[in-house]
Amino acid sequence: MSRMKHPLLLGALALLSTAALQAQNAAPAAAPDLSDPEVAHVAVTANAVDIDMAKFAQTRTHNTAVKQFAATMITDHTAVNQQAAALATKLGVTPADNAVSQSLQSGAKEARAKLEPLHAAAFDRAYMDREVAYHQAVLDAIDKLLIPTTENAELRQLLTAVRPAVATHLEHAKQLRSQLGAEPRTGQ
Amino acid sequence: MIAWLLLLLAFRHTPETHAVEIRGMEFHPAALTVAVGDTIVWVNRDIVPHTATAGGKMKWDTGQLLQGEAGRYVARRPGTARYSCALHPTMHGTLVIH
Repeated sequence: MSRMKHPLLLGALALLSTAALQAQNAAPAAAPDLSDPEVAHVAVTANAVDIDMAKFAQTRTHNTAVKQFAATMITDHTAVNQQAAALATKLGVTPADNAVSQSLQSGAKEARAKLEPLHAAAFDRAYMDREVAYHQAVLDAIDKLLIPTTENAELRQLLTAVRPAVATHLEHAKQLRSQLGAEPRTGQ
Repeated sequence: MIAWLLLLLAFRHTPETHAVEIRGMEFHPAALTVAVGDTIVWVNRDIVPHTATAGGKMKWDTGQLLQGEAGRYVARRPGTARYSCALHPTMHGTLVIH
């Protein structure tokens, strides 16, 4: 499978690294080449990262709507990963670890560390802020990085089929975040 | 009497079945008009699970539909219901029953 460079690659990765992962220095040093097995690994990792975050949110939040949102994230991203695994098996492709997947994982650790000390409404706001940024970044990455660089038609079809779900998650997250209200003023 | 019965039969609605596809995180068609006695069948074509759920007087819930699964509801009384997916509250559909 050939390895492709894409001019939007670095931008999309930087977006994943900054907006979604909130990591200050997580941008890769150079635009990586992504093969289809690597694209598959990024997709699986992106789902797994959000499932883990949702599981953590379920243990922390007391807000019914936030709990329901987290449950939907677990259900949906699990369903997508099951399809991805089935497709990989069908195609005989082994998802290959790469710099983007590693960046996603390290960013998730940092995001989790920022959420860890928060509770109650402050946690709910921070978790939903993160979900808005994460889904926006994943949506941008699907459009500008993953779909354009994927060569296998079935893998590209899967990414295309997943896109509306990510867009819906983003809208759901925005709606819920706005219902949670603004951060209280710290009164300095 | 026979003429009256024939007239009644002529105007009686034969129940129909209407399909609503759930694909791309949308209900297709998003708005559907049916008659009392008709059956609406929602079929999930998406990878992720969905429901078709309505509150209020015309309360119904298909429960979670996995990819390829279908849920049904028989329209029992006239009215208009706005329904949604319980898992994805930004997904909406409208059912008009007359």
